[in-house]
Amino acid sequence: METVSIIFSFIYQYADNIGFLLLAAVGLIIIFGMMGVINMAHGELMMIGAYITAFAYHAGVPAPIAIIFAGIGSGLAGIVLERLVIRFFYRQLLSSLVVTWGISLVLTEGFLLIFGPSILNVPTPFGSFGVGELTFGIYRLVLFGVALLLIGLIWALFSYTRFGARARATMENPEMAEAFGINTSRMYALTFGLGSALGGIAGGMFALTATISPFFGVNYTLFAFITVVVGGGANVITGVTTSAAALAGAQTIVNNAWSVYVGYVSMMLAAFLILLILPRGISEYLERRKIRVAKKNG
Amino acid sequence: MAAEPAERQSEQALLSVDGISSGYGSARILQNLSFAVERHEILAIVGRNGVGKTTLMKTLIGLLRLMDGTIEFKGESIGRFRPSRRAHRGIAYVPQGRGIFNRMSVTENLVLGQGLGGIGRKADFDRVYRFFPRLKERGSQKAGSMSGGEQQQLAIGRVLVGQPELILLDEPSEGIQPNIVQEIGQIIRRLTEQEDLTVIIVEQNLELIHSVADRCMVMDKGTIIAHLTPDEIADEEVAKRYLAIA
Repeated sequence: METVSIIFSFIYQYADNIGFLLLAAVGLIIIFGMMGVINMAHGELMMIGAYITAFAYHAGVPAPIAIIFAGIGSGLAGIVLERLVIRFFYRQLLSSLVVTWGISLVLTEGFLLIFGPSILNVPTPFGSFGVGELTFGIYRLVLFGVALLLIGLIWALFSYTRFGARARATMENPEMAEAFGINTSRMYALTFGLGSALGGIAGGMFALTATISPFFGVNYTLFAFITVVVGGGANVITGVTTSAAALAGAQTIVNNAWSVYVGYVSMMLAAFLILLILPRGISEYLERRKIRVAKKNG
Repeated sequence: MAAEPAERQSEQALLSVDGISSGYGSARILQNLSFAVERHEILAIVGRNGVGKTTLMKTLIGLLRLMDGTIEFKGESIGRFRPSRRAHRGIAYVPQGRGIFNRMSVTENLVLGQGLGGIGRKADFDRVYRFFPRLKERGSQKAGSMSGGEQQQLAIGRVLVGQPELILLDEPSEGIQPNIVQEIGQIIRRLTEQEDLTVIIVEQNLELIHSVADRCMVMDKGTIIAHLTPDEIADEEVAKRYLAIA
């Protein structure tokens, strides 16, 4: 094999792995990273998105629009979930863990009962291209691009809009936010719905590459949590992107040196080591360093 | 010095509180408490620690549930409203410890003040910067990294952005240098004289009360035990009797 195609293959796999982690984590950035809710049913909200995408696609809706439907559907499902259940368990870590795990099981078994063990898959679009002797799927790069785009949009929404400022105020100090005219109860429902909608879009994107079954979600919940936790809460966006870059880096290197299985193990090991050294995540370290540098310079 | 009878609460009172009880969980801290505030008035609430002053403020803004009684603001019964709805009506709350959003910038904190309703409805940042020029200089700084005095200026400036009609100020002098306390006192005075603003202030600093308040209420055991003039509060004997401080 030529060197060029080997190098490209390596970069392609790295982008693919980063894209996977970021897209899996994209809704959880808001729900866990910002709101602090341990939502074990996050993967199931993605699963709902995948089902909506598949049904819409097979009903003749073009895939991109089907994925937008998935976002809307999962978003609404998220709002219902928040109003009926989640809102009673804010700031109760253990209870919310158990309750949302229960919801995840109910959704999985419910979909199994209603739709059976699997439904018709959606074909992966765009085909492939070749570099040297190797061929690469184009859609994987689309996943990577969309992941970056969605994270950029979340960042812009929370940094520069009125809604974003009000949401951040609510996360930081709900009582004072309420005293400043923000209906925090509605704000929680909205942000949870937004996180769920992003999960639904991610689920819809993945639906074009994976087998769609009631157990679709379990593939993502774990990786989503690892990515967000390793990123840390000091600055969720930089945290998640650096964490995905680090974890995917470890995975890609080991993948190529040994095997896919060892690649996954190495990612877990990397997460474990990072959290051992930086218990509050990468972004906490980066923020502290930024302050140190700022102090040194003046 | 005698307690004002409830009948004297005029119909134009901006805020009238009638027979309210409230507290934490099932514990009633406030018991059957009544008073009224007229427009443009600065009403000071004094009393020893733990008599329910902060509980009263939190009940007025709605962070604590009203167990009994009524709260009327501009003739509307607001006792069952959630705090955000009271804020839209024009009540602003500056809590003890200031309640700044530490992780947000100074400007972002000010912008949140727009959520407060009131007369103007249009945010007026320049007016706030005239009172507190430092807030303009420090606009992009993280609010949590400012000094206590600057944070107190931000806490008051932030509510002025929305032009509320009633400000609830809980211990504004706490942990702040005396010169800034004086400055804040002057600004409060000026605001109520020149604008359509009314203030209820909980304070331990008798000097500040003497310089700003029109009227004082003394609280003990969750109720009001006396009404005093600012001059009476400045009298050491009176202060000793009601506040156990000299």
